[in-house]
Amino acid sequence: MTEMALQKQKTPWYIWQACRKRNLTTLLTIFFIVMQIVWVGLPIFMTVLWSLVDPNHPWSYPNILPEKLSWGQWIYVFKYTNIVRALKTSYTIAPFAVLLSFVLSLPTAYVLGRKQIPGKKFFQTIVLLPIIMPGMVVALFLSRVFTAFGLAQSFIGLVLAHTLMGLPYMIRVLTTSFEAIPQDIIDAAENLGANSFVKIKDIFLPMVRPGLLAGMVFAFTTSIEEFNLTFIIGTPTFETIPTILYSFLGYNFIRTNASVVALIMMIPNIIMLFAVENILKSDYLSASLGKL
Amino acid sequence: MERKNVSAINYLLLIPGVGFILLFIGSSIFITITQSFGLFSITGKSQFTIENWKAIFHDKESLDSILFSLKMGLLSSIGTLLFAFPVALFLRKGGAGKRFLASLIKIPLFIPALVAAFLIINLISYHGIVNEALIALHIIKKPLRMLNDKFGWGVVAIQVWKNIPFVLLILSSSLASIRDDTVDAARNLGAGTFAVLFRIYVPLAMPGILVSMILMFIKAFGDFAITSVAGPTYPPSIALRMRNTATLFQEWDKAAVLGVIIILTTLFITWLYSRLAEFVTGSK
Amino acid sequence: MSRLILKNLTKKFDNVAAVNNVSLEVEEGEFVTLLGPSGCGKTTTLRTIAGFYQPDEGEIWFSGKLMNNIPPAKRNASMCFQSYALFPHMNVWDNIAFGLKMRKISQTEQKKRVADALEMMSLTGMEKRMPSQLSGGQQQRVALARAIVTQPDILLFDEPLSNLDAKLRVQVRVEIKEMQKRLGITSIYVTHDQDEALAISDRIVVMNQGHIEQVGDPQMIYLHPATSFVAGFIGLANILSGRVVAREENRVQIELPFGRLWAFAGDVQAGVGDTVKFSFRPENVTHYREGSPNKVEGTILHAIFMGDTIDLFLDVKGTRLRAHAESTAKFKSGDTAQFSIDETAFQFLE
Repeated sequence: MTEMALQKQKTPWYIWQACRKRNLTTLLTIFFIVMQIVWVGLPIFMTVLWSLVDPNHPWSYPNILPEKLSWGQWIYVFKYTNIVRALKTSYTIAPFAVLLSFVLSLPTAYVLGRKQIPGKKFFQTIVLLPIIMPGMVVALFLSRVFTAFGLAQSFIGLVLAHTLMGLPYMIRVLTTSFEAIPQDIIDAAENLGANSFVKIKDIFLPMVRPGLLAGMVFAFTTSIEEFNLTFIIGTPTFETIPTILYSFLGYNFIRTNASVVALIMMIPNIIMLFAVENILKSDYLSASLGKL
Repeated sequence: MERKNVSAINYLLLIPGVGFILLFIGSSIFITITQSFGLFSITGKSQFTIENWKAIFHDKESLDSILFSLKMGLLSSIGTLLFAFPVALFLRKGGAGKRFLASLIKIPLFIPALVAAFLIINLISYHGIVNEALIALHIIKKPLRMLNDKFGWGVVAIQVWKNIPFVLLILSSSLASIRDDTVDAARNLGAGTFAVLFRIYVPLAMPGILVSMILMFIKAFGDFAITSVAGPTYPPSIALRMRNTATLFQEWDKAAVLGVIIILTTLFITWLYSRLAEFVTGSK
Repeated sequence: MSRLILKNLTKKFDNVAAVNNVSLEVEEGEFVTLLGPSGCGKTTTLRTIAGFYQPDEGEIWFSGKLMNNIPPAKRNASMCFQSYALFPHMNVWDNIAFGLKMRKISQTEQKKRVADALEMMSLTGMEKRMPSQLSGGQQQRVALARAIVTQPDILLFDEPLSNLDAKLRVQVRVEIKEMQKRLGITSIYVTHDQDEALAISDRIVVMNQGHIEQVGDPQMIYLHPATSFVAGFIGLANILSGRVVAREENRVQIELPFGRLWAFAGDVQAGVGDTVKFSFRPENVTHYREGSPNKVEGTILHAIFMGDTIDLFLDVKGTRLRAHAESTAKFKSGDTAQFSIDETAFQFLE
């Protein structure tokens, strides 16, 4: 008799049944994992595939797989489209937006994280406005305001717009970081003679550093991904990666080009955000989105 | 006194962040509202009028767009909830495999909306892999039109795919706040699986359920990008129509009306949530 | 037929047996306490009885029915949790009625039973309150009401009094015992508080590291501990070993580092030359009077006034002993005094 059957004979039936239940959960987990890999992996895989289709061998129905793969599309996109300019623009605006976000959020997060003031909830709601307010409405009519002040179609205007969208994340993450500093430590510092400047330099800033890093990454990726405001305020003078992708998805729909641009937009994002989640060993992103 | 001074400084420190947001969001909303009533008009004279409002409410196309966007909002929020809630329940009790599963599920969170739209477009296009697979399995005979279809299924599919992790996070934190003891007590007193689900999990997770539904609705209702690439040619979403009215037809005043409608709907839904949340957590 | 039978129950977590080959029979209407330090397996045993854990080995029988694979919902063994586990989103009435709703009891019957339970627990008038509006003691009574209203076959208690303050604990444990006696429901009670166990149990099951050390009624456990663990865990004890140097009828003389003691051995099979382990309680070591047995002389290390007695730490030629004295005695550290150890108080341990 097989080993398993022998084992089954020895163990009473009711113990066996309990074992089966445990195995069911494991099976279900594995099933879901496989499903999830397909659910998430397939779209990404298809896009990667499309981006690697050889320009001289277009992939069309009824072929299941493309005939030939090459870097041709990538080369084409880089040579013959404005992608390089868009990359430059996107990756120039982002650092400025992040810096401005940082400067603006630090004092605000300090107050929201450590002080009790009347109307705190009200202010916290205001901080969330850029996320809650419908993007295209804000974009369209902010552009009117910008036009009136000569900020439309300008680099400064775009930086301001991107900062606006990044502030909620930066403020929320920094607020959580400030909240987490135990009052005891600050009291101890004061007790030992620290003045405000020293407190900021040697206590606050170092202790919020992990949160700061996370916030900066979020503000950065938010800026890179920003579409509505950039689309209305920036085009046609400025092109960013999202606006170029959008243009490839509209009337100009060339699947292969769009695939390349989509990957250019997606891969740095995922790498940066995964790094934040894992290397910093905390759930900043999830926390900031989940605790709404 | 000392207290008062401290207060003043605090408010001062709030100004950079809060003030910035208030300034820009505030001014844009201000312009939206005023332009809808004909003030601050860029085309010609500015005078208070409700003509624009009347025009929009008599305009079938605008009403169609509003209805379409409401439909998108509703379906997206219900759809993501239906997918995310069971998964959140399953993941409630940890385990190594489940942690891995959770991190896999989170991936669309890191993918920008436009990219997500495109990724799904690749799959559900007329000769895309989903259609081909369904035909190969003899489930359908002809490919389904899932993209740019009249109903808007393509948009719903993209919204659901992209936002399940978002809703899942909110639901997970809500479910995590339910103590194991409470669930054990229910089972001990005779509650079967369904009773535990509907009498314990759902009521106690209700705040999270409401938040995620509301946020999802607002997102999908006011969406521009996804609908414009994957939605039907007619009717466009209300945000899309608003933008076209403004930049293509240069009828900014009418566009402003649509904008205000979007804002009001957002505010109304948010208000509805706070009322519902009070009702659920308060009276029961 | 016994109400509850555990046969060779074993439950492992990560290959460590939290409950190791535990067997027990509980009669109808008995109040049995599982007593032991943290990690001894008492809570695991309780939860396995409730059905929250599946045993790795062994059987659970309720009144002759095998329960191993019956889910918790179908076991009719209502439990009182340490944290009360009241449903936060339901008021007192709905909390108590929950078990009845699950059993599809009619509305009229529900109303009647809940009203009775409220009265028994002195909670009448609080039906509409939410758990968050109740004090700890009130929450505890709601938890109790909720458990008994379903007329369970077995009542399970998981350290229900741990979260109450000391005075309340003493008061409520009496109420629980009286209620149990009145209703006659078989009860399994888990606690680490030995005073509690001694006060309310019909029988105590002393557990240690997953196995049973001793089972007996409170008097038995206290006066006749079977193992050194039980002797040390329940009350205070002096635990010593020595060699038997003489035996006469039912007494033995034991050789110890500080002298020889005579002890009543009863049925203990200990012959000359055997090493025996035994214990006696501090209250059996008293101030020497003319004619008292087992005279020992010791130096007082500490004399601690406890109110009703004085707790004495003695050094008797190198051996540490604990003794009691009347509260009026005047002892100081450093004093030497003579004590007597009651011959009949020796408990021989395994």
